[in-house]
Amino acid sequence: MGLNIVIYIFIFFSFNSAQARPISYGGGWTLIQKNNYNQNSLYVHYSPSVNYSIGYRGEYWRKDHWQFHGAQLNYLLKRINKPKSQTNLYFKNGLGLSYSDNMELENKTEPSIFSGVVFDWEDRRFHTSYENRLQFSPKIQSFYNQKAKIGLAPYLGKYGDLHTWLMFQIEHIPNSNSKEVILTPLIRLFKGDILSELGYSNTGDFIFNFIKRF
Amino acid sequence: MNLIFILNLILFIILPNPILSKEKEPIIVSINGLVCDFCARSIEKIFNKKQAVKSLNINLDEMRIIIYLKKGFDLENEMIIDLINNSGYDVVEINRDE
Repeated sequence: MGLNIVIYIFIFFSFNSAQARPISYGGGWTLIQKNNYNQNSLYVHYSPSVNYSIGYRGEYWRKDHWQFHGAQLNYLLKRINKPKSQTNLYFKNGLGLSYSDNMELENKTEPSIFSGVVFDWEDRRFHTSYENRLQFSPKIQSFYNQKAKIGLAPYLGKYGDLHTWLMFQIEHIPNSNSKEVILTPLIRLFKGDILSELGYSNTGDFIFNFIKRF
Repeated sequence: MNLIFILNLILFIILPNPILSKEKEPIIVSINGLVCDFCARSIEKIFNKKQAVKSLNINLDEMRIIIYLKKGFDLENEMIIDLINNSGYDVVEINRDE
């Protein structure tokens, strides 16, 4: 109970991740590949303008033995550019098919949707982010999860340098079959238009994320 | 007389003209929201698509970019504002020291 309250407070006061933004610049492509304790995913999106993006998302949820494949549409609800910080609020929606190879739902395919918000604030030294997702498919998998991240840049690099962020991520999955709260300290490195994250969760699993912007 | 005119015309064309060939002064643009290197790549990608742009210098510490133009080219302020907005940022000020 006490831990849950701490998690809610942490998430409530956290904001979201800049580098993994769901929208790029007008005319830009982004490739995002993520691997964590439970999931491998590939997300490729194109931003016709700085206000929205559309792309393909494919996910394999290893422990629950199901997949999602579909289109994701992101919309920038609000951006605040300040002299020393930037804040973003996005709305994300996905529509596609879920496929299960888990016991009684073996080889079952059905329509699937998800929706959520992504929020981030950062300056050059500090970073905070929050995102959530409500997923629904009639039988295969429906869930709600939320994730928050805080980060600190130990040094301020110049444009073109290798940049480093020390981060801590907390993910909350109510009614999960395994852990409800996943804690992951991680290191984020980026240089040029390539970004990667490496972390180790309290589930005993590594996470590795890779983003390339074109 | 005609010969002198033709010679002058040829010399005007073939010799470097200090007015026509003058390098444009760089354009300095102050920007709000310029806090992240990875995201600021969008500015570089968008500006480098423009024929007029020779090179770009992005300074995260001073929150500004410096645009170097090719000889004989220009970039209107409205265009610069559009490009910056399309990169996800807001222009505060554009300085041209000409």
